Amino acid sequence: MQEAELHDLSDDADYAASQQQGSSSTMRTDSIKRSSSNEPDGAEIVYSKDNVAIHPTQFVSERISGRLKLIKQGSSLFMTWLPYKEQNSNAKQIEKAYVDRNLYTIKAVPFTEVRSIRRHAPPLGWQYVIIVLSSGLAFPPFYFYNGGVRQFLATIKQHVFLVRSAEDASVFLVNDFENPLQRTFSSLELPRLVSVASGPSTPISVGESPLKENQERINGYESSSISQYNGRQRQKVHDPTRDISIQVLEKFSLVTKFARETTSQLFRDGHSNGFGTFEKMFDSQPAQDDLHKASNNAEKVTDEIPVASDPLEFDKLSLVWGKPRQPPLGSEEWATFLDNEGRVMDSEALRKRIFYGGVEHGLRREVWGLLLGYYAYDSTYAEREYLRTIKSQKCILAFLLNYDFSISPEQARRFTKFRERKGLIDKDVVRTDRALTFYDGDDNPNVNLLRDTLLTYSFYNFDLGYCQGMSDLMSPILFVMRDESESFWCFVQLMERLGPNFNRDQSGMHSQLFALSKLAELLDSPLHNYFKQNDCLNYFFCFRWLLIQFKREFEYEETMRLWEVLWTHYLSEHLHLYVCVAVLKRYRRKIMGEQMDFDTLLKFINELSGHIKLDAILRDAEALCICAGENGAANIPPGTPPSLPIDSGLFYSQQEDEVL
Amino acid sequence: MSYAYLFKYIIIGDTGVGKSCLLLQFTDKRFQPVHDLTIGVEFGARMITIDNKPIKLQIWDTAGQESFRSITRSYYRGAAGALLVYDITRRETFNHLASWLEDARQHANANMTIMLIGNKCDLAHRRAVSTEEGEQFAKEHGLIFMEASAKTAQNVEEAFIKTAATIYKKIQDGVFDVSNESYGIKVGYGGIPGPSGGRDGASSQAGGCCS
Repeated sequence: MQEAELHDLSDDADYAASQQQGSSSTMRTDSIKRSSSNEPDGAEIVYSKDNVAIHPTQFVSERISGRLKLIKQGSSLFMTWLPYKEQNSNAKQIEKAYVDRNLYTIKAVPFTEVRSIRRHAPPLGWQYVIIVLSSGLAFPPFYFYNGGVRQFLATIKQHVFLVRSAEDASVFLVNDFENPLQRTFSSLELPRLVSVASGPSTPISVGESPLKENQERINGYESSSISQYNGRQRQKVHDPTRDISIQVLEKFSLVTKFARETTSQLFRDGHSNGFGTFEKMFDSQPAQDDLHKASNNAEKVTDEIPVASDPLEFDKLSLVWGKPRQPPLGSEEWATFLDNEGRVMDSEALRKRIFYGGVEHGLRREVWGLLLGYYAYDSTYAEREYLRTIKSQKCILAFLLNYDFSISPEQARRFTKFRERKGLIDKDVVRTDRALTFYDGDDNPNVNLLRDTLLTYSFYNFDLGYCQGMSDLMSPILFVMRDESESFWCFVQLMERLGPNFNRDQSGMHSQLFALSKLAELLDSPLHNYFKQNDCLNYFFCFRWLLIQFKREFEYEETMRLWEVLWTHYLSEHLHLYVCVAVLKRYRRKIMGEQMDFDTLLKFINELSGHIKLDAILRDAEALCICAGENGAANIPPGTPPSLPIDSGLFYSQQEDEVL
Repeated sequence: MSYAYLFKYIIIGDTGVGKSCLLLQFTDKRFQPVHDLTIGVEFGARMITIDNKPIKLQIWDTAGQESFRSITRSYYRGAAGALLVYDITRRETFNHLASWLEDARQHANANMTIMLIGNKCDLAHRRAVSTEEGEQFAKEHGLIFMEASAKTAQNVEEAFIKTAATIYKKIQDGVFDVSNESYGIKVGYGGIPGPSGGRDGASSQAGGCCS
């Protein structure tokens, strides 16, 4: 119905300008397009425009000019922008220009990856466009010094589905077959970054569609990471920050060095340091190069993967009381799990290895990222690096929103709530692991990082907010990651699973306590009956264990070891419940022998802190898990944390229908 | 260690009012500004003497955050005394007292002795709740009242002991059936069981205040 309007670009404000400036390159473009667009195969240039520049700084002398092209290959349209070589500058400038060229060069971005194009026609100065990718990533503004924005859009329109946004006439949505508004929002879904950064690649594209990625993963364990992905999207649907995100995101694309000076006051609260990494987001070229190599090697790598026998089939025989624990995974052995690009070749084998021994501390930063799902197992070194740089920008985004000083009354209301939370977090971070060197002393910057990451999260997931216990979960992550944005995103991943522990109504905790009682009944019915007779059936005495994953029961290093074992989800997602049963079983004689009542039991369990032998308990838990087998799993209701929530899925998907 | 009686106390109140610090000051006679926040519940114990009788206080220090209330409620069971704590420098912690009291009344036994403590009284320059307001609230709700400082130890010993003395008096007055442990009182070796079955003395619940 909008067909006529969709294809009508005559209201294009820069049309006249482009006609006036009417450079020879525009004409040339037309002739190229007409002469070659009928050929079915092979790459052809359908648009080429000179003097399209970006502005890394506010100085005219430092602008980088180049040629913008649209290339058609088969049925796909790609965009490239190659800067010109520097000619008459001094050595230093040349060096700098070289760096910048590498930084900003765009080689063949497929339009399947492009979400929207915003056209700006300022009354003074040149027209420019901002191209936003489906990942939410945006290229720096392209200034058309020779005009030709309209031509650019018209050419794109001939090859891909281009529609003017109903919301904003200066925005053109690419391949938007649904409600344009919805797609604009969905382009902000942060998780989609993962698909760009970690998707397998064809020789010419930066990434692959998330759909294909999902299909490829669906058979294995990885399927859970898909639902994780979906779950996260569901949560984001409610995110109040979303509405203004689109504006902020575009602002970010303007925040190159060019705009840094003028916007830095926004970030004076000490968060401006992230801009170093923000700039790197444009440095996608090395990652692309690696992707090229990767895809070339892909088949070879697949052939090299040994055919793994079903580990459980084989292991069952040897497991009576849990296998002896192994030393932690060291760097030499870690290397054997990776192909030459850094992909984990057999994630099941890796998870199994970590399950039986954990990892050396030096490897945790990378391995935790994988276990938590921050990185995909099949991501390369380069892709992980790429993700880190994009995500650090996203983390700043979250901060920007924190300090966005409210726009609407609704946000003002939220801001009040936010300030309350900030007060809580301020109080709690100075009461979290302060005995640890990493967090001790006055004005410790790590304590500030702990506060900042929690604060960001409380805004990122506004409905959940902040609850005591979260700082205990964040602390080791920050200790391992040492970086604000990595810690934040890993925590986001962890909270996908453990978030329900902090529900206001304690529903997540109650469902775990219930599952625990069912497991205890299955694995030690006399003890369970004892609890029943002594009014201890609520298993509240295990509350702290579950809430913060035994964080207060072990030494710091042991906690990290336990967590990485739990996060493998090898054998069970709910190994922590088996760990609970294992501890209770170990002390059952004492508990029952001394006829402990609820109070005594609670006190006794509390005082076990620091006295539980981790390796022994893990062996017991493993054995119990295997003994319980399917019966054990059947006693744990679906959706019990840390499983990804399922019961809310219906609700959220309805929401999705409305909003997306 | 032998005792005549064991009293169970519970410390409640908003997060960050100084519950754990009060406990530590009482049990270890030290102030530790840097300690981990309480998850679930922590325990402390100390022997005191009242009327020449050794009495053991077993003190449950609870997590203050609102969302843990449903768990905290299960800890009230069988408490003989409660320390309800607010922070005199943060008005909102005083405003929440009524809701804490409601929880306590609902989930603890009716004869539980409640001591209201306005903590951090060393920070007089930042005071947001006057002593009179604290006294008034205590009077209205039949609580014992003290302002204290876990940092300087001012009134900390007194608060715990006065609560114990009140409970002890209730035993003497026959308010409690000490053979029934749901009152939060255990009779130890060498303890002298008080008059039993005396529930009728409920009206003698302490209502005074001191400062």
